[in-house]
Amino acid sequence: MVGPEVERPLVTGDGRTLGPAGAGGAGAAPAARSASAPTPASVALEAAARAPAHLDPEAGPAVTLENVRVSFGDHVAVRNVTLALPARQVTALVGPSGCGKTTVLRAINRLHDHTGGRVEGSIRLGDIDVCAPDTDPELLRARIGMVFQRPNPFPTMSILDNVTSGLRFNGIRNRALLREAAESALRHAALWDIVKDRLHQTALRLSGGQQQRLCIARALAIEPDVLLMDEPCSALDPVATAKIEDLITHLAAEVTIVLVTHNMFQAARVSDNAAVFLLDEDRVGELVEVGPTVEIFHSPRNERTKQYVTGHVG
Amino acid sequence: MTARTSAASAVSVKEALRRRHARRGGRGYAAARWAAAGLFLAVLLGLVVSIAIDSSQALAHSGIGFLWSGTWNPTANDYGAGILVVGTIVTTFVAMVIVVPVGLGMAAFLSELAPRWLAGSLSTAIELLAAVPSIVVGLWALLVLSPLFANYLEPFLKAVPGLEWFFHGPAYGPSILLASVVLAVMTLPTVVALSRTALSGVALADREAAMALGATHWQVVREVVFPGARSGIAAALTLAVGRALGESIAVAMVVGNSPAIPHSLLSTGATLGSAIVNQFAEAAPGIGTSSIIALAAVLLVLTLAVNAGGQALLRAMRPGRPGRAAGAG
Amino acid sequence: MSSVLGTVRAADSGADAGDDPEARWSWAAGARRRPVIHAAARRTLGRRRRAGRLVQALCVLCAAIGLAPLVALVYYTAERGLGGLSIGFLTHAPVPVGIPGGGISTAIVGSAEIVGLALVMAIPVGLMAALFLHERRGHLAGAIRFGADLLTGVPSIVIGIFAYALVVRPLHHFSDLAAAFALAVLMLPIMIRADEEAMRTVATDLWEAGVALGARRSRVARSVVLRGALPGLVTGNLLAVSRGVGETAPLLFTVAAPSFAMTLLIYTEGTEPFPAAQQTAWSTALLLLLFVLVLSGVARLVAWHLTRRAR
Repeated sequence: MVGPEVERPLVTGDGRTLGPAGAGGAGAAPAARSASAPTPASVALEAAARAPAHLDPEAGPAVTLENVRVSFGDHVAVRNVTLALPARQVTALVGPSGCGKTTVLRAINRLHDHTGGRVEGSIRLGDIDVCAPDTDPELLRARIGMVFQRPNPFPTMSILDNVTSGLRFNGIRNRALLREAAESALRHAALWDIVKDRLHQTALRLSGGQQQRLCIARALAIEPDVLLMDEPCSALDPVATAKIEDLITHLAAEVTIVLVTHNMFQAARVSDNAAVFLLDEDRVGELVEVGPTVEIFHSPRNERTKQYVTGHVG
Repeated sequence: MTARTSAASAVSVKEALRRRHARRGGRGYAAARWAAAGLFLAVLLGLVVSIAIDSSQALAHSGIGFLWSGTWNPTANDYGAGILVVGTIVTTFVAMVIVVPVGLGMAAFLSELAPRWLAGSLSTAIELLAAVPSIVVGLWALLVLSPLFANYLEPFLKAVPGLEWFFHGPAYGPSILLASVVLAVMTLPTVVALSRTALSGVALADREAAMALGATHWQVVREVVFPGARSGIAAALTLAVGRALGESIAVAMVVGNSPAIPHSLLSTGATLGSAIVNQFAEAAPGIGTSSIIALAAVLLVLTLAVNAGGQALLRAMRPGRPGRAAGAG
Repeated sequence: MSSVLGTVRAADSGADAGDDPEARWSWAAGARRRPVIHAAARRTLGRRRRAGRLVQALCVLCAAIGLAPLVALVYYTAERGLGGLSIGFLTHAPVPVGIPGGGISTAIVGSAEIVGLALVMAIPVGLMAALFLHERRGHLAGAIRFGADLLTGVPSIVIGIFAYALVVRPLHHFSDLAAAFALAVLMLPIMIRADEEAMRTVATDLWEAGVALGARRSRVARSVVLRGALPGLVTGNLLAVSRGVGETAPLLFTVAAPSFAMTLLIYTEGTEPFPAAQQTAWSTALLLLLFVLVLSGVARLVAWHLTRRAR
């Protein structure tokens, strides 16, 4: 596992810290003991200090977006998106609601084919041109996992069938392979011990947080190159949220993760890079700044970013 | 009296007046409501009781074996509902064989494939079909379909290899098959409308989850939408069966009315409803009429049971997604 | 909080072995599965898409088959019925077989009388019963609701027999009253449920506000609930009427003669072997069909128009 096993204090959504402050880890950041309320910048510094960055210079970016614009009919939802999502890191798309973060996320796996959105610009997954008309969306989506805002396990399937659904949709029949992939995915989602004795029960008996982890397992089972997460904790309580955030940092070692969140503290805790989306004067969403999380929160270059990042605390 | 107590007593006087007004003004109106409710219940009970009483004579005469006895011989005062029950079940079953694929296919088309304008107008068309009086359907089936069946369809079916067990014997038009087609036409709107609602009601989130895993559109429909619509479709089919069981006049016009166990779909037959239509006028008073009414009793029990089940299924259609439970953990 | 993270770690116990490339559920094993998955996806895509296209074609076929009966019904009824329609058809009484001329005026009038009488019986009772259901919870209301749902499923022929037993037999003769009673019993549960549904959409706080202001319960009911529910009430009752107008079986045992009801006339004339009789049946059927379709259309228009105005 990458990084030491750290006992990190729980930071709740509004920045309060629970539990032992500054326990373990090299050089607890002074911000944890300061008298003032934690800011996203301090949280980001602290998180970065605890987990060494997993830089992988050889790996190119997993996903690149260039001049992407998404519109619905005449209305432009988001534009000016040029962004590289580094492999095996967590990139957070942050910003207030309605700025196009989710729209951009869904463009990556071409979900807009069904919503009537028109995607212009270039999106590449490795060397696959996502938006090209001769790219098969089904094959593309089999390389990308997605987790949605509200947990949405298939209500008519058992837990096991839920996890293996992606594999079965793509034509995998081998029972041994399915079983193995399911166990692997459930272990990586920290759910195996909870469900291993009730794999054939309905998924709906699980709690909200467990259902969301089931959805994460379902996405992981197809061994995706990229995992897209659309505000995965917004429907969950703080305890469940903490578990999922922990999971995200674990998974990031092996999977590229793109996380949409409107919670800056969550972004500060969990992500390596951040892309800030804001509304411009025409009330169209646009990408304002992107960079390592610590920089974005601590020393943003763009004036609007600074206003957003600091304004959130004030 | 202090200001407070005088104010309090003023309020209490107003309260008393209001209560009196409410009682008085409401009383006549309340009586009407209770009367209507009572009247409705009386009608409901009266229906059941009256049918039961009138059929008791026949049941006393023929015994409980009436329900499955195979003979229907008015001249010999020998009545049995068995053949008619068989005929009813066979026509309903064949009607379902036709209506289930066509109805579900059309519902899937409306819910998943058709553009909105087309789905809207087709749905309206199907609702109009539901409004067509059964006698008009019967007339059309008798005067248009029956000759077509006799001259083209039935000879064709007899010639298809492998299906002889279903289609053989003399065929002049009126037949179990024709009656089943009529029932199919009449139950189609129920199946299409309710199934379509059930299919459309499957949450977008579930569909998108499947799409995001790499499923094709048909895979989404087969693995997520149809299973999710199970209870609604079950309700639709059950209610359609209930409707088919009770249809009498249109069936009476095309089924041929020969109370004998049909040996082929092309032979004539009879159902509970058609027998009542055809025999009531000439029934011998006393046992005869009572036997016909006993048939109505059987029909009543059958349709009530099926419809109660269908209504229960309809109520059990899941209204929302339980996945929102965001408990601890 | 150590318990929180501890639980995650415990459930995570496999994740440590996740780094051991030999373990079944290691990341490396997953990486080995990846190309297998992609290959299977690519290999099966063609088949999956073809299956989808086939099903799509079948569904279109089913939709066409489903539409066919309506088209055929309207076409044939119009084609065969139109020839017999004339002013005389509508205004003359029936004449014996073999004599030309004649019409179905008695049937038209008779049907109108029967349906009118049935409405007089059913509409008020339906409305009052629906108000009853709307205002009360409890077992009685539940029983009535359940009973109404059951009664909608009772075959119309059984209702006809009930009317026979209740009205025809004691009076010793057939009558319009018996027929009207049968139709009223048929329409009543439909009206009750439709009326109650219409009232349910009226905001309950509107009603409670009225009562809180001290208005008499009856006045509140009348002005607030009924006015708000008017579109739904009109639509529901029109649809119930449309259903009642088209029924034949209940009339079989109650009406004095077929010439007094359009639906029954269609039945008796249509089953005759004579072309003239069949022509009468077709023309009457055309009239009936037009009436019912227009009624349904009007009901829909009324609902749409009034809900638009309410906004």
